[in-house]
Amino acid sequence: MYKLFLTLRYLRKRRIAYFAIAAVTLCTAMVLIVMSVMGGFLDELKRKARGILSDLIVDNRSASGFPLYQEFIDEVSKWPEVAVASPVIYSYALLRFPDTEQTATVRAVGLRLKDAYVVNAFKDGLFYEKFYPDTTTLEPQKMPVIGYDPDAPRVKLHIDKGDFDVELPPRRLPPELQAALDRAMKDGVADDESVISEEEQLLRKAGMSPIIGVYDEASEGADPGWVGDELPGIIIGRDIVAERASDGRYRRFSFYPRGMRVILTLIPVSTSGSVDTPVKAAFRYADDSRSGIYDIDSQHVYCDFSLLQKLLEMSAAVRADGSGTIQARTSQVLVKTRPGVDAAVLAPRLEEAYRKVARNPAHQLDGVDSRLASLVRVYTWEQSQAHIIAPVEKERQLVTILFGIISLVAVVLVLCILYMIVLQKTRDIGIVKSIGGSSAGVAAIFVFYGAAVGIIGAALGTSLGYAFVVNINEIQAFLVRLNPAWQVWDRSVYSFDSIPSTVKTADMIGVVFVAICAATFGSLAAAWRAGSMQPVEALRYE
Amino acid sequence: MNSATQSPPTRAAENAPQATSTRPLLAAQGLTKTYRMGAEELRVLSDCSLTVAGGEFVAIMGKSGSGKSTLLHILGALDVPQQGQLTFRDEPVFAPPNRRSQRVSMFDVLNSAERMRIRLRRRHFGFVFQFYHLLPELNVLENVLITRMVGLKTFAWPAGRAAARADALAILQRVGLGERLRHRPNQLSGGERQRVAIARALVHRPDVLLADEPTGNLDAENGASLMALLKGLHREGQTIVMVTHDSSVAQFADRTLVLERGRLRA
Repeated sequence: MYKLFLTLRYLRKRRIAYFAIAAVTLCTAMVLIVMSVMGGFLDELKRKARGILSDLIVDNRSASGFPLYQEFIDEVSKWPEVAVASPVIYSYALLRFPDTEQTATVRAVGLRLKDAYVVNAFKDGLFYEKFYPDTTTLEPQKMPVIGYDPDAPRVKLHIDKGDFDVELPPRRLPPELQAALDRAMKDGVADDESVISEEEQLLRKAGMSPIIGVYDEASEGADPGWVGDELPGIIIGRDIVAERASDGRYRRFSFYPRGMRVILTLIPVSTSGSVDTPVKAAFRYADDSRSGIYDIDSQHVYCDFSLLQKLLEMSAAVRADGSGTIQARTSQVLVKTRPGVDAAVLAPRLEEAYRKVARNPAHQLDGVDSRLASLVRVYTWEQSQAHIIAPVEKERQLVTILFGIISLVAVVLVLCILYMIVLQKTRDIGIVKSIGGSSAGVAAIFVFYGAAVGIIGAALGTSLGYAFVVNINEIQAFLVRLNPAWQVWDRSVYSFDSIPSTVKTADMIGVVFVAICAATFGSLAAAWRAGSMQPVEALRYE
Repeated sequence: MNSATQSPPTRAAENAPQATSTRPLLAAQGLTKTYRMGAEELRVLSDCSLTVAGGEFVAIMGKSGSGKSTLLHILGALDVPQQGQLTFRDEPVFAPPNRRSQRVSMFDVLNSAERMRIRLRRRHFGFVFQFYHLLPELNVLENVLITRMVGLKTFAWPAGRAAARADALAILQRVGLGERLRHRPNQLSGGERQRVAIARALVHRPDVLLADEPTGNLDAENGASLMALLKGLHREGQTIVMVTHDSSVAQFADRTLVLERGRLRA
């Protein structure tokens, strides 16, 4: 009993122990913050990577693609474990905006849009589809323009700059789009991801119904409608057509209106791997997508699978010499499994299913196609993204270890402080021994002391770390308000809107446990010295 | 004043009628203690022998540095001699001469001789030091209670707490500090601190009270008052072994021994 009693009394009366508690608190908070931010970053990365992929990816890692994908899809679509399987083509391309003379190097992705809505979270990242449901298509389309209703009562607008009033007729989108927007608005869909332009704010303030996104305007008095040639739709990565603001929202520009004409120059790769003549095709900007990963959103465009296949000369064709048929090819097949299916278990079965299809003599694969088919493998989404996730995981471990090593400072501090207390309390140790305290009992006082420092420090550190992590974005915003140069998390650089942070209970328990053990460990040397003191020598200590 | 405040709760007091028993409570035989100071050896005790009977008040006199305190520490099982044996109620306190077994170590619970010495200090002996040696973080009551806490296992404390507190209050009343329970040592005078030290030494009803120059740090008035207290305790049957260099203090004892050149003489 005296051990606990003296431990608590020393803890209260020896204020130097507060420094040890402060050290443990700071180290606990530091490690928890690092683990949470790095862990949050990793989780977010996985979530985002998962959002653009499917459960399983069938790929042969060749720019030429692989044949017999449709036969394979037809076969596995019958399996109860498979929800949907969809082919995807990847190709490098140049994207040109004729109106702005801007050209960007992009990766063109050919996909079946309806399938893409099922196999991953692609739909969730579409901007116009969110506010104008069921209007995004990769099919040929014209450009929608805003029109005005000349007969409707005009809306009065006060222009502060120059201090004058203007009257404008109410603006309207083409009926299909207007109806879709009205429907979305009624459902409570709000645009919290765009920076609203001053002009739009002014119009909304004057009472005009909001129009989300950017549309070209018809000449004054004209009806809303669709203009221009019918061109296939293309979905463009958001970071190509919009600018990411520091608060994570996107600023859209009037020179990138929905439906604008863009030119895609593709570089087909033959089955032999050589680059063929570049192919140019015009598209209309149907929507823009955001996966949350900057490298993808700044470099990817999406168009219809069949069209891209045709442009890249990956469609089925008869050989020039009439010797047979060239098989249609794809770069990948994305497979979405049904809930509860273990993708890792299904992967080898899918691989075997593809081999079976490829071995079927009815398909008469030539040498090149056979070789391309032989390279086909099935990867889980984690395996396919291992090159991105694994380094971040390693980095997280490394940083945690580094900060853990830095935290040894707290152990040393606890050791020093307790050792100092033992020296200061040498006579007390002699007294306790003179009234019958054992060596182990005296040592226990200081071990309990170290543990108590650890428990209090860990509790305070966990609270501090948790509060910091939970409010990390507010703290960042506060610091930026004080000095913009203190923006450590630039949202225009990182893909994530906010500093990702996830406080996991397991991490918290682990950090607390290690902190208590470390502080207790730090007390051992002092406890050993205290326990080993000869009572007479301790009583005579000056 | 109630009976609890009038008599000290000493174990010896319960046997007061048989005070000064002929049976030796403590018996030291041939105690030798040498301190090594660099290359030199300083022999402070040389073949010292004495017996202390139950209920006896023995004073050991000697000049400063004569080894009185060392002898008292050995008699109180706080220190170990290089040679000689001490028995408490005929039980040997020290293991056969074996330096390792005599040293205090972290693993004293594994050493039966050290285990016995801890038991003696915990249950049978009470110490009063010249410089009081109170724990500065604890108040008067806690300084006295700590002896009982050490004597009780953690799980036995809740049950024994009330009795321990009652004993502590009684002994503090007896030494005249019933009104100073919440004071810290630095708020007390030297005489009061020494009284707290006596209360702490007696609260567990020890068989032997070992006092090391109890008046050495007190003025004459406080010294006399303290000696009167010790004499009163002795009258109630408390065995006391006291070392002092002051003959006026030694005269309170039944028997005085003089330590000279490491040897005891009557």
